[in-house]
Amino acid sequence: MFGYALTRIAVALGLIWAVVTLVFLIIHFVPGDPAELLLSQGGVAPDPAAVTELREKLGLDRPILAQYVSHIGGLLKGDLGSSLLDDHSVAEEIALRLPRTLELIFAASLIAVLFGLPLGTLAALRSGSAIDRVLAGVAGLGLSIPVFVVGTVAILVFAQKLHWVPAGGFVPFSRDPLQHLILLLMPASAIAVGLGAVVFRMTRSSVLEVLQRDYVRAAHAKGLRPSRIVLHHVLRNALIPVVTVLALHMGSLLGGTVLVEFVFNWPGLSGYLVRAVEQRDYPEVVGIVLVISIAFVLINLAVDLLYAVIDPRVRHG
Amino acid sequence: MSLTVSRRAVLAGAAALPLLRVPGARAASPGTLTFGLSSYPPSVLPWANTGTAAATVKLMIYRGLTGFAPDGSLRAELAESWAPEGTAAWVFKLRDAMFQNGEKVTSADVKWTIEQVVGEKSTAYLRSQMQAIEKVETPDDKTVRFVMKEPAATLPLLFANFHMPMIWRGSDAKSPVGAGPFVIKAQERGVSIDLEASDKYYKPGLPRLKAIRAIAYADENLRVAALQAGDVDLIEYVPWQSMEAISGDSRLALDAVDGPYMYLVFNAGKPPFNDARVRKAVAHAVKRDEVVKAAFFGRGSGLAHLPIPKASEFFNPAYENAWQFDAVLARKLLVDAGHPNGFTCSFLSTAQYGMHKDSAEIVQQNLAAIGIKAELNLPDWATRVTIGNKGQYDLAMMGDAADSNDPDGIAKAIDGSLSSSYTRSFGLKSDKISALIKAGRAEFDLAKRKAIYQELEALVIEEAPIVGLAWRSQGYAMQKRVTGFKNLPGALTFYAGTTFEDAAVG
Repeated sequence: MFGYALTRIAVALGLIWAVVTLVFLIIHFVPGDPAELLLSQGGVAPDPAAVTELREKLGLDRPILAQYVSHIGGLLKGDLGSSLLDDHSVAEEIALRLPRTLELIFAASLIAVLFGLPLGTLAALRSGSAIDRVLAGVAGLGLSIPVFVVGTVAILVFAQKLHWVPAGGFVPFSRDPLQHLILLLMPASAIAVGLGAVVFRMTRSSVLEVLQRDYVRAAHAKGLRPSRIVLHHVLRNALIPVVTVLALHMGSLLGGTVLVEFVFNWPGLSGYLVRAVEQRDYPEVVGIVLVISIAFVLINLAVDLLYAVIDPRVRHG
Repeated sequence: MSLTVSRRAVLAGAAALPLLRVPGARAASPGTLTFGLSSYPPSVLPWANTGTAAATVKLMIYRGLTGFAPDGSLRAELAESWAPEGTAAWVFKLRDAMFQNGEKVTSADVKWTIEQVVGEKSTAYLRSQMQAIEKVETPDDKTVRFVMKEPAATLPLLFANFHMPMIWRGSDAKSPVGAGPFVIKAQERGVSIDLEASDKYYKPGLPRLKAIRAIAYADENLRVAALQAGDVDLIEYVPWQSMEAISGDSRLALDAVDGPYMYLVFNAGKPPFNDARVRKAVAHAVKRDEVVKAAFFGRGSGLAHLPIPKASEFFNPAYENAWQFDAVLARKLLVDAGHPNGFTCSFLSTAQYGMHKDSAEIVQQNLAAIGIKAELNLPDWATRVTIGNKGQYDLAMMGDAADSNDPDGIAKAIDGSLSSSYTRSFGLKSDKISALIKAGRAEFDLAKRKAIYQELEALVIEEAPIVGLAWRSQGYAMQKRVTGFKNLPGALTFYAGTTFEDAAVG
């Protein structure tokens, strides 16, 4: 087991290195010079001497291998470098923004589970009924509507028409906890629509499958209360695929909340990545991708551990 | 197992929903204006050009020797007067003003500022223009004398530029001290900038606001939604598609002017666009009303001449429609240039900005009608800039705003003697055009300057170093309770931030 864990960690580290290298190379080889861009704001003509000066200052005149070695050296020392745009520490910026994106994802997951899990279970228990069909239809709709449409409609209805909530934005929790949570509600709900539909479907099919198992029939035969059977025998076993799917979606949401962050002006990591790519801010792009890669690996590791908690067979076998 | 919810509970829940209504994102403190920026400024360093959102914030915290009044005229700021000494020098007299740290604004600060801008390691936007100053003399604390290397009638205009504010000479490079009406109090990177009124501002009774909270809304639709929801008092860069709805909203006001412009640039370093007749054929092939309609929802106007706005005293109505649509003339010019069957060329634009892409698609269709098959290349903006600077295109779409309403403000688009840039045609050098630009800049007599620019425009109409397409309507929208804030005419629209000193929110 120890050897297996070591191998997994080694593979994960190799994967992270490969991703970082690939991103470093891609971002350097696509056209677009950060020094040129920096001096070309607002459609102005950059002075070539100023561009050369800035390239030297930013170290962009050095051979790409030297830039790569110095960057990897910095990463190994825990230094993610500084933004080419404003010299701000990439690590500090990520430390500021990552929690905002994670908060968004966890809030969305919580809402998705709160709705998806009980409704999925209900649909499975009432399989074939009108409730099942209606819920399946709603879930289908939730899956097929793009998140930016959900977000835009929510803003139109709840902010512009009803004036119940602000259209979007961000206030730090430390400054105004209530306002922070209110601003979190709409973007998290927008993500939760699709995610909740996934949880609903997965729960429904998984519960349906478990309901056919012999031990469930045996529990019924023993005369156990239906609620006890569902909670202790069905859900406990049906949850593994649900947790897997949810975790994988949470991982992909790390880089995939771009549209939601954009639509709701939520200053998280995804929006930061888009800006960094647009500006060809190499240290920022590599730093963000590195963090997302590590988070993805850690989430997968967490899922494996969660399996063991939910299903003792995994723990022992 | 059953799930039961009583009808009464549902009704009670529904009735409670409106009670969930919460105040907007804005801090509703009296005298504080909440402003929706189009992007978070990468920096507000005084002499760097980091975009128009940054420029607006810079106009809140810095002031130059001169500035622009709400009607677009040049006005005194830190300098109370100025006058040329022949054509060899300019003398500026400073007023009694203070920097935000309480230090007096002196000629030594002005000299230091110029030295920073023209310095060897400087990347200042106006570095090359300021290098026209031979030396800065400071006869006393209140007098600055600029000895020029060559005559420059436009020097007072340059000092009004938002990239040329005066800074206290003891400033740290990362925290410059300006003399504007507001001071940055706090910043939430990528989110917002909080500013408060400076009690050191030299204009009595100004600013009228106690504070400004500038929040970045990169998504234009959200920016509008935030205004309509009441989260913000004022927004910049109103999207064209929203202008009608805002105009029709009794709570809101729209202040829009035709300011920035769209135009075509050419690679004149190789055929076919090294021939002025071909460039002129393109100029006469474009249906400008279609560009305005499709790309700007009808908000703007056609531009069939050199981009000198009507707000400028140099605007010449005689040339207003010089490049008007004329397919017959366009085809004739192509035939004369040896392209009776047209030709195929690459057409660079960008998919990142809808106005660039949509304008390019209309032009592509118009050109096809006279036999020019333009193949669109739509990379992201960063790639487009690099390709443009290297001249790896035949024809390219461009959008820009002049530095001012003076014709010298568009030199960057048509002066081929400047270094290669994506903002002007690649490899297109015209000694006559460059000489006229230089002559206009050096002429101090207004009537003579006008004559020079008329000659220049006539030449540009013939040589077509660029082809004008459309004026873009550039708008600010605000709650009607906002007073004093005003858009500036023509190319000066991005100077509207100056009027934050007069703004109030009732």
